[in-house]
Amino acid sequence: MTRVLVPIAVLDGGSVSPGLISLLGAVDVTVLGYHVLPEQTPPDQARLQFEERATSALEDVSQEFAAAGGAADHRLVFTHDREQTIERVTDEVDADAFAVPGTTGDVDRLLVSLSGDVDADRVLSFVEALVGDRDIGVTLFLAAGERPPAGDDDATDADTSGERDTVAVADDAVDAGDADHDRPHTTQARLAVAADRLREAGIDVETTLAAAGSPFDALVDAVPGHDAVVMGERAPSFRSFVFGEESERVAAASVGPVLVVRDRRAADEADADATPAAGE
Amino acid sequence: MTDGPSGRNLDGDAPVAESVVETGTATITDDAELERTIGLTGGLAIGIGTMIGAGIFVFPGLAGGEIGTAATASFTVGGVIALLVALPTSELATAMPRSGGGYYFISRGLGTLAGTVIGLSLWLGLVFATAFYLVGLGYYALDALAQVGIAVGAGADAVVSAIAVLAGVGFTVLNVTGTENAAKLQNGIVALLLSMLVAFLGFGLLEAFGVVAVDTPSGQAADVWGIGPVLSVAALVFTSYLGFAQVATVAGEMKDPGRNLPLAMVGSVVIVTVLYVLTIFVATNIFTRDALLSAGETAMVEVGRALLGPAGALVIIVGGLLATMSSANASILSTSRAIYGVSKDALLPRWASRINLRYGTPHVALGMAGGPVVVLAATGQVRLLAEVASFLHLIMYGLMCVALVAIRRDRPEWYDPDFVVPGGPVVPVCGALASFGLIAFMNGLSILVGIAVIAATAGWYFYYARDVSLKGAL
Repeated sequence: MTRVLVPIAVLDGGSVSPGLISLLGAVDVTVLGYHVLPEQTPPDQARLQFEERATSALEDVSQEFAAAGGAADHRLVFTHDREQTIERVTDEVDADAFAVPGTTGDVDRLLVSLSGDVDADRVLSFVEALVGDRDIGVTLFLAAGERPPAGDDDATDADTSGERDTVAVADDAVDAGDADHDRPHTTQARLAVAADRLREAGIDVETTLAAAGSPFDALVDAVPGHDAVVMGERAPSFRSFVFGEESERVAAASVGPVLVVRDRRAADEADADATPAAGE
Repeated sequence: MTDGPSGRNLDGDAPVAESVVETGTATITDDAELERTIGLTGGLAIGIGTMIGAGIFVFPGLAGGEIGTAATASFTVGGVIALLVALPTSELATAMPRSGGGYYFISRGLGTLAGTVIGLSLWLGLVFATAFYLVGLGYYALDALAQVGIAVGAGADAVVSAIAVLAGVGFTVLNVTGTENAAKLQNGIVALLLSMLVAFLGFGLLEAFGVVAVDTPSGQAADVWGIGPVLSVAALVFTSYLGFAQVATVAGEMKDPGRNLPLAMVGSVVIVTVLYVLTIFVATNIFTRDALLSAGETAMVEVGRALLGPAGALVIIVGGLLATMSSANASILSTSRAIYGVSKDALLPRWASRINLRYGTPHVALGMAGGPVVVLAATGQVRLLAEVASFLHLIMYGLMCVALVAIRRDRPEWYDPDFVVPGGPVVPVCGALASFGLIAFMNGLSILVGIAVIAATAGWYFYYARDVSLKGAL
């Protein structure tokens, strides 16, 4: 089952918009209530004072999620470091995506970004699970300004380095339905293949190819007309170090909620590497 | 748990007790999780950052002025004692990685009376130490003023006190209202200080062994090598070794505590001991006893000037300001955790650990740290403040070693340390004897003030918390 982590600043007025609650109605949800403390304050001390209030607020939120359809549970964490907490809990509950909550009404159309070196296969499966059989349209977005990754077509050669290629992964996704085994090398073709896959799942799909300029600006420009954004997790870069996580910036620029699909490629490979070692 | 804490204090509050699960990344209670966010670097920065201000920038003048190069032996003695205590503390901390540090171990190992006395005197000991760091900061600020041409004549002592008081008020207000995380800043300051010191000491050592030559003022006063003077100076400078206990007060927030706590505590003691001994060696190699004595608290500035000219003096002044600030700030942070630990166990009123809603900071505890700090800083008594701080810490160190022996003997079911001090009871027994023994070499007045503080805390126990039972309770 697909699981989404929804972090909220539970004691700082953090809340979840009704639109996000209904959007996540078809998947399982873990509500992560966090409270960030300045370093002067031992987390335990804050827990003693705020635990009851935070727990009752969290229970309310997770009931709302449960009422919308999916299974919902909640965790409460007192921390000095929000990112570390979200990362740890995402791993522990094995969530497929985490939400950057934003304000939205009912969701009619999602903007799904496939730009950059993201795990496109996972993003697409996540969108299928998220939409389910509901009447929610999807706009697939790809910024052509990004150089398409050079093709390393040998998808089996996964154990050599920590990095597999987007194209190779996209191929995996394609191979199931594409009898000709034509390899899509252009961004246009990648987009078309992804759209076909979602259409097969019965989703109304449009595509947008941003020709030039910064992929980030192009994505934000594409947001109007959409109620929420789905994007893949990307490795931390210098830009994210300076300007903050891309997902946070998209959320800030678009006001609406952003769902970040986690990249499991590195973890999968770590597992693949670990298994033979354990067998020896 | 069958052997949980029990009893009630005068206000009718019972100690807060619950069973928790500790993992390397979080403490998991019934309904919530507490993230562990301080890594090894952060732990080392707390330890080194707290200690380095006093040992490098304040004491060389005082200690070198008293006994010359023999002060290297005093710092070595201090380092060895600190190490003898840091090892048992590490074992206790890995078995009980909780906020409160030394207080927590002693209350669980030796019972409520010892716990109350240590909990409260850890708070007051940190208060004395913080006041001492602030006075040190005052002297460096005075030198900085002199450097930019503002000479303060006769009223120098009053100016130092005034700066110390202002800084004390400033730190307290910043800690209550500041929600920015200063931890990264602290790490940066410590890294900067360490690299400055390594460069400075490297040059000083080259000079000492005659590779480069600078003009050193001549003096007649010879070094004083004698067991009595060396130990008496060791008792004075022991304030330079209080930082590793501060690491234990944040034990509840350390990632992977089984590994990081021992490394941070033992590592910070070893690193600062080496730096202290080298610094005092360089300082006493350049200046003789009488020259250091007349330069006083900021003698290192003169050492820097002699070695590298005005630039050297400037480096030391900036370093001294940063180092004493980071010491004072780290101590105020540990103080609020010490107060929280005691208040959670109902040995102080519960309101002492209230958190204010606006800033999320423990304003009462910070006030209880900052208020007395400001009063003490106003006295400007460097030696007295340092020695009383050392006295109160040494009592705690000695009792922590005793607590380790006691807990190992009782072997409560939950006692499962990740780090075990090798050699059976040898290290903790030596640590306890050395800690208590060093007290005997202190100034009479310091011992008197220290005993008065201990007596007052014991009186508080009999008045307020006689019925609380903590021994053996996790």
